[in-house]
Amino acid sequence: MFKRYFEKIWVQNVTLLVLTALMVYYFAFVFEFKYDFDWAVFTHKGQYGHMGLLMLEGLNTTLTITLYSSIIALAMGTVFGLARLSKFKPVYWFATCYVELFRNTPLLIQLFFWNFALPYAFPEDLRLKLFDMHFEFWCATVGCGIFTGAFMAEIIRAGIQSIPKGLLEASYSSGLTFSQTLRKVILPLAFREIIPPLGSEFLNNMKNTSLAMTIGVTELCWSMTEVYSLTYRTFEAFSVATLVYLAMSLAIAGILYIVNERLKIMSPDRTTPLRRVADILFWPLDFLGRKLEYVFWYFRKSPDQRTISPLRQSLRVVGKQTILSLKILFVATLAYVLYEVGTAVYHFNWEIIWANLKTLLIWRFPDGDDTEFFLGLGGLAGSLLMAVISIVGSFLIGLVLGMGRTAKNRVFRIPSLLYIEIIRGIPLILVILWFYQAILPVVFKVDLDAFWAATIALTFFFGAYIAETVRGGIENIPSGQVEAAKASGLTYFQTMRKIILPQALKQMLPALVGMFIADFKDTSLAYIIGVMELTRAAYAVNNRIMVHPFEIYTTVAVLYFVFSYFMSLYAKRLERKLSPEAMRIEM
Amino acid sequence: MRVLKITAMAALLVLAASVAFAGPTYDRVMSTKVIKAGLSNQGIPFGFINDKNEWVGFDVDMATEIAKRLGCKLEKVVVNNNTRISFVQTNPPKVDMVLSNMTHKRVRDEKIDFSITYFFDGQKFLARKGAVKDVKDLANMKIGSMQGTTSIVNAKAYLQELGNPNPQVTGYDGEVAMFEALNSGRVQAISTDSTLLLGYAAKVPGKYELVGDFISDEPYGIGLPQDDSAWRDTINFTLQDIWKDGTYKKIYDKWFGPNSDYPFPLTSKIEMWP
Repeated sequence: MFKRYFEKIWVQNVTLLVLTALMVYYFAFVFEFKYDFDWAVFTHKGQYGHMGLLMLEGLNTTLTITLYSSIIALAMGTVFGLARLSKFKPVYWFATCYVELFRNTPLLIQLFFWNFALPYAFPEDLRLKLFDMHFEFWCATVGCGIFTGAFMAEIIRAGIQSIPKGLLEASYSSGLTFSQTLRKVILPLAFREIIPPLGSEFLNNMKNTSLAMTIGVTELCWSMTEVYSLTYRTFEAFSVATLVYLAMSLAIAGILYIVNERLKIMSPDRTTPLRRVADILFWPLDFLGRKLEYVFWYFRKSPDQRTISPLRQSLRVVGKQTILSLKILFVATLAYVLYEVGTAVYHFNWEIIWANLKTLLIWRFPDGDDTEFFLGLGGLAGSLLMAVISIVGSFLIGLVLGMGRTAKNRVFRIPSLLYIEIIRGIPLILVILWFYQAILPVVFKVDLDAFWAATIALTFFFGAYIAETVRGGIENIPSGQVEAAKASGLTYFQTMRKIILPQALKQMLPALVGMFIADFKDTSLAYIIGVMELTRAAYAVNNRIMVHPFEIYTTVAVLYFVFSYFMSLYAKRLERKLSPEAMRIEM
Repeated sequence: MRVLKITAMAALLVLAASVAFAGPTYDRVMSTKVIKAGLSNQGIPFGFINDKNEWVGFDVDMATEIAKRLGCKLEKVVVNNNTRISFVQTNPPKVDMVLSNMTHKRVRDEKIDFSITYFFDGQKFLARKGAVKDVKDLANMKIGSMQGTTSIVNAKAYLQELGNPNPQVTGYDGEVAMFEALNSGRVQAISTDSTLLLGYAAKVPGKYELVGDFISDEPYGIGLPQDDSAWRDTINFTLQDIWKDGTYKKIYDKWFGPNSDYPFPLTSKIEMWP
């Protein structure tokens, strides 16, 4: 009886309302914050200046970095995504190196490398000139762009490759030229495939710009830390920054939703109101496209032109030779770059690396104080441990939330949805700070080592991402199976345990390995609260030696890369094993 | 039913977590015999990691000495410029005391309490040898400082006084990044408490020099939880005892004495109560 009532929408709504009311009551009246909120810090000028204005300046910088780095990322992604499909092997190898190298090292390490190590590669005059031009800002912008570009390249490549070969054959055999096929078949189809993942990359990119604070760019997170370290208003600063990031995420998600609506195929007599809005918003682009089409029409080749004029012939030869010389030039440049990198590596101060390798791998493991985390375990071992613990925890959270999100019942669906969307809208750096400085000590009144605080934060953060993976897995199972299970009398949990989850988990495996890699890379952010993981250990070593940043950051990047890369190879093998029909098209 | 059980379990867990002890710091320290001290690990020579990966420094030694005299075990917790105040501000405090080259300021004293001054410093500028002939040269230079400190505010105000209405002061994330900025040439001078500057200048001997006068007074105090006078008294008395029997001088000379890497003569005296 209870169950039947629970299926009614109004009962669910009431339950949700009651739960919300209970939460509000608990935190407003029962729970003792022992903290006086004072929002006036943002509206009044204090001893150290106007904090509201400081936040606004930070927001401005964040938006600027986001915009520029998105453009860079899209450009890099398109170029390298196409290059990954190239038949010319050097181009393919180069693009592959770019993608693998930048996807498998943490952004934080990349930023440190660009900022702390790269300038020393230039002669002094040039370096000083660079520093005169907002070096940190451009470092962060280009760094984020290159990083996100590597992910976009893979998405774009996958999008183009997802077009069935049969369609291409059909388009060629119906007489379309290559450029026509590209314009009429490949790109429209690929775009539809690409837009959702590309959108989430734009969102990630926006969140990633928060790392720019670590190299001294005065963006939103930087302003936030400045506010709470000057006014000691932790909760207020965190809340405002979080809300601003959430608003930006929502805005990006909204834009993408509209774009998605515009790309959907629907019959003209059954358009949704949103589609009409999207149509109006995209009218200028449509208009431009139609006009371009019109222009192209006049430049088309007439089909009856069977013979080639001598001029055209020579043009063709010149074109071919240009391409050949470009290829040679490319290979030569590549060889030169490789040679330079080789000599640079050869001249590394290997002694420094050897002397500190143990530190980077296990920090001071057996000799640490008994008050330190696990006898001073840290470095790469600490990062791996953190990643393993948090991914196991977040898998459990993700399983529950993913099931909750697919549930029909609102009482489970809406809270899961809120959790997933809120966590996914906030930069990880903020989640870690929230847990370490606000949620654990103030709300739960537990006092944990920074290692555990960071691990818990990572667990909750990746729980939201894994939930989405789980949801995808569950939704992929044909609904007939659910109906069959229901008809044979299985309960919801039995259906899930015996039928849906075993299949869904198998499909999710590659994605889960991918999540593990992401988690491992993101442990680098625990550096911000002083956990002695690999990044912080590198920072400490660099602090001590000071004069060999190149060697240290390269070593650390290699350490991160080796682990992530082999895991991603494993994920790829899994994927191939589970879906053998995937294949490669070439351009 | 199952749902109910799970809910009940969750509620119990939350309850258990919120019954964590709270109370005056003095009582807690004396009953658990553990002092949690917030220390920086990237500020040479106050708290940093040495080449044996040990966490050492003047502040670390002072904290160890205090813990020893109170018969407690010392638990070191990393703080940085952004967290050193909020960690004693939470309730219960995340740390019992903070020694992180922190200047005793009135604004800060509104949020937390401070011990008597245990170190005397002042803010200065560090620049490449010979780069600054006259203090006025600083006005139009690019200056680096540290995020989350008052050094950045002081430096801005000083440069404005020198006649640059719009000074370029960048706040880097910690001492390391700040010194790296000077070393690589992205700023022409850096500014913070002079002993920190000395600590980093000693990394590259003979290349950098302190310029100008002290632009501010930076008396360091130990940050303590607000309104806990039993605990504050204990710390103050301990500090004075450390000074009285000469241990202070020993620790001081170890880090700042004439034979140390960062010589900085001791000119002031700790406040002594008869």
